[in-house]
Formats: sequence, structure tokens, C-alpha cells
Amino acid sequence: MKRNRWFFILVLAVLLLTSCGGSKESKTGGGGKVDSKGNVTLEFWYALGGDSGKAVEELVKQFNDTHPTIQVVATYQGNYTTAMAKVYSAITGNTLPNVAQLGAAPLLGSSGAILSIEDFIKADSSFDKDVIYPAFLDYNTAGGVLWTAPFNNSVPILLYNKDLFTAAGLDPEDPPQNIEELLETAKILTKASDGSGSPSQWGLNARDDTHWYLSTFFLENGAQIVSEDETQVLYNSPEAVEMLQMWSDWVNVDKVMPPNQHQESLSDFLSGKLGMLIGSTSVVSSIQTEASFKVGSAMFPAVGDVHKMPLGGGSLVIFKNDDEQIRNASWEFVKFMISKDSSIYLTAHTGYIPIYKDATNWPEIQAIVEENPLRKAAFDSLPYAVAIPVFSALGNSDLALQNAIEQVELGTASPQQALDDAKTSVDHAIKTQFQVTP
Amino acid sequence: MNNRTELISASTRAKRKMKHRILTILSDGLWYVVVIAIALAVMLPFIWMIVTSLKGPTEVFAYPPTWIPKDPQWSNYIEMWKEAPFGRYFLNSAIVAIAVTIGQLTSCVLAAFAFARMEFKGKNAMFMIFLSTTMISSQVTLVPTYLVMRSLDWIDSYQALIVPFLANAFGVFMLRQSFRTVPRELEEAAKLDGCGRFRFLIQMLLPLCKPILASQALFAFMGNWNSYQWPLIITNQDSMRTLQIGLRYFVSGEGSTQWGVYMAAALVVCLPVIIIYFLVQKTFVESMASTGLKDI
Repeated sequence: MKRNRWFFILVLAVLLLTSCGGSKESKTGGGGKVDSKGNVTLEFWYALGGDSGKAVEELVKQFNDTHPTIQVVATYQGNYTTAMAKVYSAITGNTLPNVAQLGAAPLLGSSGAILSIEDFIKADSSFDKDVIYPAFLDYNTAGGVLWTAPFNNSVPILLYNKDLFTAAGLDPEDPPQNIEELLETAKILTKASDGSGSPSQWGLNARDDTHWYLSTFFLENGAQIVSEDETQVLYNSPEAVEMLQMWSDWVNVDKVMPPNQHQESLSDFLSGKLGMLIGSTSVVSSIQTEASFKVGSAMFPAVGDVHKMPLGGGSLVIFKNDDEQIRNASWEFVKFMISKDSSIYLTAHTGYIPIYKDATNWPEIQAIVEENPLRKAAFDSLPYAVAIPVFSALGNSDLALQNAIEQVELGTASPQQALDDAKTSVDHAIKTQFQVTP
Repeated sequence: MNNRTELISASTRAKRKMKHRILTILSDGLWYVVVIAIALAVMLPFIWMIVTSLKGPTEVFAYPPTWIPKDPQWSNYIEMWKEAPFGRYFLNSAIVAIAVTIGQLTSCVLAAFAFARMEFKGKNAMFMIFLSTTMISSQVTLVPTYLVMRSLDWIDSYQALIVPFLANAFGVFMLRQSFRTVPRELEEAAKLDGCGRFRFLIQMLLPLCKPILASQALFAFMGNWNSYQWPLIITNQDSMRTLQIGLRYFVSGEGSTQWGVYMAAALVVCLPVIIIYFLVQKTFVESMASTGLKDI
């Protein structure tokens, strides 16, 4: 009996504490400030570190220098995962900033916490969205609404070691163009120099966001990722299974790719133990400074003659706000960040790609290629860029695909079985998806 | 005859002595080899961090790896200060970690004393509930704690970085166990001499449990010095952020990371913890030897 009383008191105490938290909710406006002179201060959260983070800060500085009545305070919020965790905390706590740069941002559309970019564009005749590649707009669309603005984007690419090509008697200026050539080249580049039977130099590997590269092969082979109504994923189709089978064969039959070593693939490549690396365009601006050999780049290998590169990267979102002046200033800032000049600056200082249709004709972009020929393959990929629909369980789907790849590489499941399992778990996640409501 | 046996026994004794000495040297030698090997294995990541912190971008991934940088980049140690306001971050981390360590020790000592030495209704039930909170992972309490901080208007403040960590169930448990190993007779004798409860705790119990206190202090300090997620979630201004957030500025998820500069910063950031460890090492090691979870 006595014990029960104590439990009761404790439960009461806990209830009291939590109810205190709720009762004080009073602020509804959102972040940002307008002073008496009409000057606006905006809060901006971004999720890019390293060189990319510096480029973002520089762009914010340029904006502040050219816009005397608007001051943007930029804060780094960790990587996409931690930044999104912070945004969700801020939604429940009503402490959101005004603008944020995030990954998988269009999904926030269903949270009710953001304003759609489409509405801003409609109300602003000075901005023409048709000058942007449609894929970049698709990448920012969820449920038929353009929620967010394209900002930093990348596509998958093939990097290769020119020195190893020359040493193996291959032409360093003629990288593989399709999956047949890729395998052939990988076989020549795979070598066991120490006689142990296990290769000391591998022909091919992919970086650890393996789901992205497998999805690229899926799309190029005509498979679909998700159904039109976004209620189920479709990657257990024969076209998809064929691609995972090919991936599995690289590891288990042709033995040109080490099993389950994607984490180490970039360092293996940089230390000259790997011939070709499937990776992201986001590294191409800096990779030559880290490598002690000549690096080459090529477009992601085609299946047949089909090129289709799904976009990766982040977007800009504008959060709801009661103050019209703050809303307008937020749009002004986003418009600056995705403008032609900013796009050129970001492209020049990071490995990201420009979002404009005619960008490859701009002298500034051509100058970037001239200075660093590695960038060419990324810009050549632009016309083939596509967007994988942003659906609610995209995060689960990425993990499920990575898991499927690991299973076939380690031989614990057949490609068909692994993809069936992935589909089952992701379809279940779509049905039971937790939705954030403010 | 007598002489001979003496001679033989003397020589066998000498031989035995020799044999014994050789065996001792051998076993000692073997012991040292094993210990040095283990020490090297533990130190290897540290050594690698120091070596990498002096390398330029090309040498970081060079194969075969170089143990002595060909062209030491001392400038990495200057470069790191430009990436983030580390001076301010150091100050914040120090304030927060020291405040939490002092606060946590105070609350843990008092609570542990009550649980170990005082009798009150529902003591065991309370202790069990208290202990069960160690099973709840921090991710679960992240958003509720955030909401509490927000309703107190503490976002972007030292309070938010310090107050949620002032109580620690595991610390209470450790201290309670160690308090209980001190014989009750000691407290009774002190009481007879007119020593009150609080004085007994301060003057007798705490000095006896110094090793456990030292290790608890080290845990509290290190745990806070290294924390990343909570400070990131609860702070927005540079003036309120801590060291671990500063370290993340170097890591680029998609682009390239300047490993040399990053490792230089990592070394500078973990230096205080290493120094503190050496300072309390003696008492800390004692506590490892005397960690007895007797008398539960």
C-alpha cells in the first residue's frame, strides 16, 4: 500500500511538470525580428560543413552587404540528420527560424510549418521558374506542390585513377561509358600482386551512400522507385532485380569490387588502391588536391544508352511567420541564394552543380571547367538529371536499399529476396508513417 | 665427503638461484612485452591523430601510410582557429563542464547519502524508480526536455546547458554503493562524539570514498565536454555554443574534409580531458581496484 502511494505522488509530480510545459505556449509568430525603422533580422539555419559551409556563409555575407534593411543571421546546425532533428524540435517548441537549408526538405510540406515556394513565385513576377531545370523543381516537389527551392545539388558520377589506367595499358582519356565497359575495365584494373589470391588493387567500388547509385542503375534500366500515388515502392521489379544482380556479380562472380567496404572506398581510392570510384559530384572540386595521382571523371555509366541521374543535395525552405515583412524578406533572401550569381559562386567554390538550364553556356561556368576539367562530367550530366519523387518514407527506403545491397554482397540473400524484403518493410513504413503536426 | 656435498649443494643452489633469476627476468620481460603491446594498441589512434594533424591534404591518404609527416604542416594548428570561434567555445565548454561536474557531485553525494544511510518511508521504491531512469535513452527525453527549456525561456543560455544534467541516477547508485561499504560502527562512534549527520558526511565519509568521487567527477566532466546533440539543439548563437559543435564545422558530409586541420582541432579539444585524467589518475586507478559492489 505504502509503495503505491509513493508511485501515485511521483506520477502526479511528473504530470504537473509536463503540464507546466504546455500551459506556457503563447508565442505563435515564429522567429525573426522587425525593428521600429522597418529593418528585418532573419534567422537562417544551414546544414553544410567544410568548404560548402564556408561558401554558404560567404553568400549570406554578400546578401547582408547588398541588402541594408535585411540582416540574415546564419547558424550551422550539424548535418542533414541533426539539422532535421532540430527543426522537428523547433516545430513542437515553436522556435523555428525563418529560412533553412535542409535535406529531404519538401517532406516538411505535410508538417504545416512551411510556406510553399510556389506561392511566392506566383506572387513575384520578377522570378521565372522556367529557367531552372525541371528536375530540380521536381526534386523540391511533394504531393504536387513546389514546397522548397533548389539550392545545393549533386548527381552521381564516376571517378577514376588515370595513373592506374595507364599502368594497366588502358587509355586514361577513354573512361567506361556504360555498364559493359565498366565491368570490362574493372576486370583489367583488379590485380592480386602479392599472390595471396585476394586483390591488392580493386577495379571498382561505390561510396557509402550505395542506395543512391543503385537507384541510378534502377532508373537507367527502366525500373521505378515509387508508384504514382506514392503508397508503395516498386523496386522488386525484374528491371530492378537485374541491376542488383549485376551489382552482386561484381562482388561475388567477377570479383572486381570488395564486399561491403563502401565506408573505406574514398580513402582506398585516394591511396591509389582502387581504380574506379562511383561517387558524388560534390567531391570533384577538391579531390585532386587530396590525391597524389591524376584523377579523371566521367558521367555515371549508362545502361544500354540510357543516362538518368537522380539528384541529391539540399534545398531552401521558408517557415510560416505572422509578419508579412518577415515573409517577404525571407523570400528576398531565398531568391538571392538561388540567383544566377549565387549559383555560379556555389558551383565555383563547392562540387555542387548549377540549377539553371542555360548554365553550361555561361562564360563563368565554362571558366570553371577550364580551370578544373574534372567538373565537366558533372555539367554534362545536367540534361539527364531526374528527381526521385520525395515520398514520406524516403529515409526508410534509402536504408532498406543499403541493407539489400549489404545482404547480396555478403551472400545472405538473393537479389530478388533482398528487394522483396526491402519493399515489404518500406511499404509498411509508408502505411504507418508518423506525421508531424504542429 | 662433507666438503663435496657442500660444494655440490652450493653449486646447485647457485644454479637454482641463477635459474630463478632467469625465470624472473623472462617472466618480467614477457609481462612488459605484453603490457607495452597493449599500451601501444590503445595509444595508436592518438598517435595517428597527432601524425595526421601535421599532414597536408595529399599525405593524409598516402599509401603506404607515413608515420613521420614528410612536410609537417604546423600551420594546421593556426588554421583551425579560423574555422570557428574556438576561444569562446572553450570558455563555454569549460563553464558548462565544470558547473555540471560540481553540481552533479553535490546532488549525487546528498542523494546517495540519504539512500545509503537514512531511513524513510518508500526509500526502496524511490531508489528503484530513480535507478530505472538510467534505462531511458536520451533521445526519448530530448524533445520533452527541449519543451521544458523553452517554456522556461532558457533556449540559448547556460542554464539550458547545465541544469538538465545536475542529477545523475548512475552517479547516485555508484556513490550509494560505496557509502554502504563504510562500516556503520564508524557513524555510531562519530555520533557518540557529537558529530552531526552532515559533518559525518563531509569529514568522514567523503574522504573515505575519494576514489569513487574522483571517477564520478571525471565521468561527469568528460560526458559534458564531449556532448554534441543537446548543445546543438538548444543553442543558436555562436556565443553559447560548445567545442564539439565547433569540431563539426570541419566535417563536410558530401564534399571534402580537411583532415589535417580537423585532427589538429580534435587534439586541442581533447587535451584538457587528457590533462585532467593525468591529474586524477592516481585516485582514479585506486577506485578501479576498490570498485566493490558489495552489500547491495
